[in-house]
Amino acid sequence: MAVMNDLRTMKNAAWLGWQMEANWADPFLFATYSIVKPISATLILVFMFMVVTGGDTDNAYFSYMFIGNALYMYVAEVLFGVTWVIHDDREHYMTLKQVYIAPINFYAYILGRSAIKIVITTAGVIITLVFGVLVLGVDIFLGDIDWLLLAVSTVLGMGCICVLGLALGGITFLTARHSIGINEGVAGIFYVMSGIIFPITALPTWAQSISKVLPVTYWMDSMRRALMPDAMAELSSAAAFDVTGLGGFSNLYIMIYLAISAAIFFVLSLAVFKFADGVARRKGKIDWTTSY
Amino acid sequence: MSDGWVIRNLRAIKGRAYPRIIGAKREPSWLFFEIVLPLFTVAAYAYVYQFMDARDELIGYVVLGGAMTAFWLNVLWAMAAQFYWEKEIGNLQLYMIAPISRMSILAGMALGGMFSTTVNAASTLAIGALIFNVAFHISNPFMLIAIFLATMVALYGMGMMFASLYMLFGREAHHLSNLMTDPVYLASGFFFPVKYLGAWAAAGASFIPITLGLDALRQMFFTGAAEDAFLSIEVELLILLGLCVVFLILAHYSLRYMEYLGKATGRLTLRWQ
Amino acid sequence: MNHEPAVKVESLTRVFEPKKKKEGKSVRALDSVDLQIEQGELFGILGPNGAGKTTLLKILSTLLLPTSGKAYIAGFDVESQFNDVRQKINMVSGGEVSGYGLLTVKENLWMFSQFYGIKSKVALQRIDDMLKDFGLSDKKDAKVRTLSTGQRQKMNIIRGFITDPDIIFLDEPTLGLDVNASRVIRDFILQWLKDHPTKTVVLTTHYMVEADELCDRIAIIDNGKILACDTPERLKRRVQMNTTLSMDVTLLKDTTVFRTFEGVESFTFTEDGEKGLTKLRFVMRGESGVSDIISAVLGQGSRIESLQKTEPTLEDVFIKMVGKGLE
Repeated sequence: MAVMNDLRTMKNAAWLGWQMEANWADPFLFATYSIVKPISATLILVFMFMVVTGGDTDNAYFSYMFIGNALYMYVAEVLFGVTWVIHDDREHYMTLKQVYIAPINFYAYILGRSAIKIVITTAGVIITLVFGVLVLGVDIFLGDIDWLLLAVSTVLGMGCICVLGLALGGITFLTARHSIGINEGVAGIFYVMSGIIFPITALPTWAQSISKVLPVTYWMDSMRRALMPDAMAELSSAAAFDVTGLGGFSNLYIMIYLAISAAIFFVLSLAVFKFADGVARRKGKIDWTTSY
Repeated sequence: MSDGWVIRNLRAIKGRAYPRIIGAKREPSWLFFEIVLPLFTVAAYAYVYQFMDARDELIGYVVLGGAMTAFWLNVLWAMAAQFYWEKEIGNLQLYMIAPISRMSILAGMALGGMFSTTVNAASTLAIGALIFNVAFHISNPFMLIAIFLATMVALYGMGMMFASLYMLFGREAHHLSNLMTDPVYLASGFFFPVKYLGAWAAAGASFIPITLGLDALRQMFFTGAAEDAFLSIEVELLILLGLCVVFLILAHYSLRYMEYLGKATGRLTLRWQ
Repeated sequence: MNHEPAVKVESLTRVFEPKKKKEGKSVRALDSVDLQIEQGELFGILGPNGAGKTTLLKILSTLLLPTSGKAYIAGFDVESQFNDVRQKINMVSGGEVSGYGLLTVKENLWMFSQFYGIKSKVALQRIDDMLKDFGLSDKKDAKVRTLSTGQRQKMNIIRGFITDPDIIFLDEPTLGLDVNASRVIRDFILQWLKDHPTKTVVLTTHYMVEADELCDRIAIIDNGKILACDTPERLKRRVQMNTTLSMDVTLLKDTTVFRTFEGVESFTFTEDGEKGLTKLRFVMRGESGVSDIISAVLGQGSRIESLQKTEPTLEDVFIKMVGKGLE
């Protein structure tokens, strides 16, 4: 019964999230926005690459960078999506308190609201990858994709990111309006440390130790192994040096690591959310507004 | 009731700047976000160049571009989109009925946020230079100041012009700001020399003041930047000065027209569009 | 100020067109409104929700353009001379949440005063005086977000008056406030007008008692039209010929029958399910129809719990003009 209620809450919250995300513009404008935004972010890196190589994109690293940047959208948008729900409901529409005191699972509400972000981001990721393959020669061939690895990696990775978003959402209860940057900052840590657009071996040794603890690092690697197995094999053994930094780990090891990380983050995130929620209630911050 | 138009608007600028300044003091968590977090994006791009064994100047460009993103984001979010937020809170109509120029309100917002923005930019520059061993050479400090000021005035003038559009917008305001972030980073060459986009694209992007501002600043700071330059510093300064005039005039008329449109359609005070 | 009327409105019309066809038809919020408010008046505008009160105030405060017609504030056209108008006016709405939550009350009020070019020293003195008038001196340094609803609205009122406007528009200023808070605001308004005899207050309200007590003249508006405009006494005298009959009866099955009775100008009813009563209120031409009403009630098997004949009030005027009570 409780599960059914939670599912219903998530469904209704997802519907609301869709209304918030999509009905601000006509379909054409929305489609333009959904295409232009992800592709332009990727093109920055493409031009940076071309400035150095003189235009040569036939390079395993180019595909590595391109795919990483495309997949990173999940990290940025989902983290943003969760924290934005609380911020927007509290500061803008001032409906947070009504939702908060309703007899629903608040986590389910937040996850439902954020779910639509995942759907929209998926469209952006697919568009970017297709653009990369068709226009820029990114190394993804449908026949070579490891679909099982892709499916498992996607599920575990999304789970990890969502629960992290939950923790950040809880912290949002306590922080002022400008801390929308909180999600950007945390996503930024992943951007630098998790082998998104450059291998972790480019970092100093002490930073690589941190990278090897972050679940997103493994998620990125496993997604690349699934999408471009040959290129990843090349990078893992380039000039007898494992450029990626994770070449020594098997797919199974990475999946297990992701699963355990997701579980640990899940527990941690719930604890952080509960703590922040409690403090916010004690200090009366559930419905405060902080704009200036 | 009060002194003349000029004094009234100067007081309005002071009044609107105040919440930003005092907000920065009372909610000090911004310090962490503004100083530390922008460094991650800079670091990521710098490591990309480092991994590709790129020229040192390119890493320098990333640090400089990262610092300047503070101003672009301030214009986009803390000024242009601000009228939309003020409308949602209920302040916009109070600003509208006050006997002051809309540009005074926006100037107040800009000035009030300038401290935190400058801290952001300066810290990104300093820490980025330290971590990635970037050397900045200032050959002509007066020209540097002139370029920087011209870029800022033109940029904020453009921001005021955008703000006029946002007066009428509903939720598309937030999405429009989102939409303009990355494409402008791309078109204006924040992280790579804009000339590599091609002459026509670079010329088109030059209407965004920060494009030529960045290009000129790169030439001022880095000795090897001449080969990456789109136009000479002097030409870029002249164009920027022209953009200052153009955007401030456009902002004035755009604000007036958009306000008229908002009043005619009834959208000036319509919330939750 | 010159000798122009404070507010002059000529054939003012405002039509709202929907953005898209599917959003419905256009709405005629104001329909050929004519009005003149003299300097020194406390002028009330009464009307149900959606009558056009706020639309009228928005036009007069230069937030909205009329579709046709003209409006003048102290002789200045709201459309073409809005900068001059804005130097003369201010506006406060009920339930306002303007300002910035992390500023203190004093800072918030000072900030808004700066938009009117008031010297800081002068502004701060006015703030201190008005906070004292409203009993908010101890909240001077409290953050705005910590204020209760009543305190916030008092602060909003101070924000409106602190600029010393020649004309101030108060859009339901006591909405949602308790009796004490409302009393303080009303007393302040009256005192302010007494101290500034050439200033003008235009007030919209739902509260009949407030309008009756405060206003020199009242305009009753519905569906965008001014139905009546006069002093409260003269408005009540319009229904002097009528009798007002209030009856509490046990729950009636059919209330529609009363509409057809001769002598009944209008009537309203409310049902109190808890007490099992229907409260009827009739405005009648003379007393001839009273016996028919009583027979109809008894004929439905109901009992009369109370019966009272009352003098006309502003609410009676309103019901007569508008045909319904205030929602």
